[in-house]
Amino acid sequence: MATQEKVDVVIVGAGASGSVFAAVLAKAGKKVVVMDNGPDWQTSDLISSDIWGRRVKPAGAPFILEGKHPVSMGAQGGWGVGGAALHYFANFPRLLPNDFRVRSEHNRAHDWPISYDDVAPFYDKVAHEIGVSGDAKAEELWRPKGQPYPMPPMKTFRNGKVWLKGFEANGIRMVPAAVGMNSIEFKGRAACIYDGWCHVGCPIGALANPLVTFLADARKAGAEVRAWSTVTRVLTDASGGKVTGVEYYDQKQEKHVQPANAVVLAAWAAQNPRLLLNSATDKHDKGLANRNGLVGKYLMTHFASGTNAMFDEDVENHMGTIGAQYMSYERYGKTAHKGAFGSTFIVAGSAIKVSGLGGLANTRPDLFGADLHAFMKRAVKNLSRMNAFGEELPKIENRLELASEKDEFGMPLGRIIHSYDDNDAALWNANFEEGMKIAKATDAKDVWQGRAVQPTIHLMGGTIMGTGAANSVVNSFGQTHEIPNLYCAGPGIFATGGASNPTYTIFALSMRGAEHLAKNWSTVAG
Amino acid sequence: MDALERRVFLKGAGMGMLAFTVGGANVLMTPEQARAQGVPFRLLKAREAETIEALGETLVPGAQRAGIAHFVDQQVSVLPGEALLEARQLNVKPPFVNFYRAAIGAVDKAAEARSGRRFAVLATTEQRDFVDAMRQNKIDGWQGPAGSFVYLILRSDAVDVVYGTMEGYESLGVPYMPHIAPEKRW
Repeated sequence: MATQEKVDVVIVGAGASGSVFAAVLAKAGKKVVVMDNGPDWQTSDLISSDIWGRRVKPAGAPFILEGKHPVSMGAQGGWGVGGAALHYFANFPRLLPNDFRVRSEHNRAHDWPISYDDVAPFYDKVAHEIGVSGDAKAEELWRPKGQPYPMPPMKTFRNGKVWLKGFEANGIRMVPAAVGMNSIEFKGRAACIYDGWCHVGCPIGALANPLVTFLADARKAGAEVRAWSTVTRVLTDASGGKVTGVEYYDQKQEKHVQPANAVVLAAWAAQNPRLLLNSATDKHDKGLANRNGLVGKYLMTHFASGTNAMFDEDVENHMGTIGAQYMSYERYGKTAHKGAFGSTFIVAGSAIKVSGLGGLANTRPDLFGADLHAFMKRAVKNLSRMNAFGEELPKIENRLELASEKDEFGMPLGRIIHSYDDNDAALWNANFEEGMKIAKATDAKDVWQGRAVQPTIHLMGGTIMGTGAANSVVNSFGQTHEIPNLYCAGPGIFATGGASNPTYTIFALSMRGAEHLAKNWSTVAG
Repeated sequence: MDALERRVFLKGAGMGMLAFTVGGANVLMTPEQARAQGVPFRLLKAREAETIEALGETLVPGAQRAGIAHFVDQQVSVLPGEALLEARQLNVKPPFVNFYRAAIGAVDKAAEARSGRRFAVLATTEQRDFVDAMRQNKIDGWQGPAGSFVYLILRSDAVDVVYGTMEGYESLGVPYMPHIAPEKRW
């Protein structure tokens, strides 16, 4: 076992949250090492192909997926430098003020320990740092005023416009989608060319993935990104009051210790608790930051209710981005749907490729043979889709725990147990019913939906934030209540999930947490 | 995978081809070319490959000629982290060959029980009826991964090799519009 030279901070995970912490702390003059268990992907690796795009997805899951609605880890997760943000859709809706007050306003789930106003400045800051296209003024229909986005909205195409009639007929106002993509050249990064390959990675840098934004900044400021480095334990001092670094394995499966003054776990909502639980000591017999038993608890996801529509006209569904052209918070109120609790976020107008999980062929999974071929010939010209994303409230029984089986490094696998309840099903169905009404009010000739399995999208929770150790694992900055120089970052710290795509909030919260750590370095990690 | 094969693989990733073994050497070619040239399978047995080809052709016409069996065979022979199979995204536990073997075994066993013959030698209409029942988990005595999941995975593989390539897009009349083009077919 080799012990590396001590650094100020080791960040576990080079995805959305880890890259922000790395950039902020490296710019603050800290010696930063970012570790990731996969390859050091370059933008030139991002081949425009659904087949080749699978290279940046997890393989050999270190998780056992259980429950009535197992988490779709393979499709959602990341692997390697850039993490899941290498292949995300870059839809950038914010959480809204009502997301932060679910408990106090509805006596359900949790309140966040902070308000929308605490996060809003960081939404604006992130937008200007990495580039967001959209119409902030238009969003003021539903949210407090903020700064304008630095770029105008993206172009729209027929595959988005064909839905507007249906939304209008149902009283749903749509505005240009806020996306982390360049509608014009931004800070030397190219403008989008609307070829719809975002979901396999954007090699021209028009989409704000970590490689061309925060991670590039971090490297420029001196941060080291150490790929193929699998962290298995966070190490603590004899008193158990401080973390001292991490234990990790390199690509040759040789064990190392990386000493550090602070550790930031930014390895995804499921891997962070797996690491905390696997770092138990005599001073932390249930795992780090887990005296209250809440590490790994309150996992939550989003569920989409997608509606497909076949039009007579050529809707150019190969054009645009995999993100949305239009979005709406019109059903974001927690009680917007009678008989179902939770927010809904609505989008329309995304490019649809031929193959892949979200491709044309899977919009009619029942078809095969000649029937499938006939459908494909029509769908490539005439099919478009809208989606409504629903909020799952946190439930303590949706959790990660350690399994008895072990991975190649001897680390126990994580078992993710996840099930929806009747309310989740009710909201999912309410969004399908409204989606059908919207589609039928368009000029579409055929409309249909796939309701076979309630999907699990955007894993969140597991190390939730709160006001103290009685109700949570971390504070609003991601700092664990138990160990001051140990942080968690990413969607795992969300107290509730809202219905908005989470990455913009991940960036904003990470920036808030990282700046707080930098400002308080001497008391936290000095 | 040894270092040489890894280099060949990575080169292939950029070129959009796969590394097949011909006469002990790694050669880059498409699955269709590998099939046309009769490249030996790495892991699949001949009968297993026949079943995959027959299933693929039933699911998506053209999958057999496009080399679905060579595609699957090559992909299950590489490290899971280098595999391009949809199985990877659908949380199939590596090694992926175990899933395919279990799936093929279930299909052939069920076909024998239903019709007295393995799937690849059933009549076209029988194959179609079988797949339709399999996708709905309506085959009595089925033993193996759920029929609907076998359908989903094999259908995805067939869609990949027939429609998911640059040639596939062209055949459907869709502009491919790559940022970084997978040279040749992918």
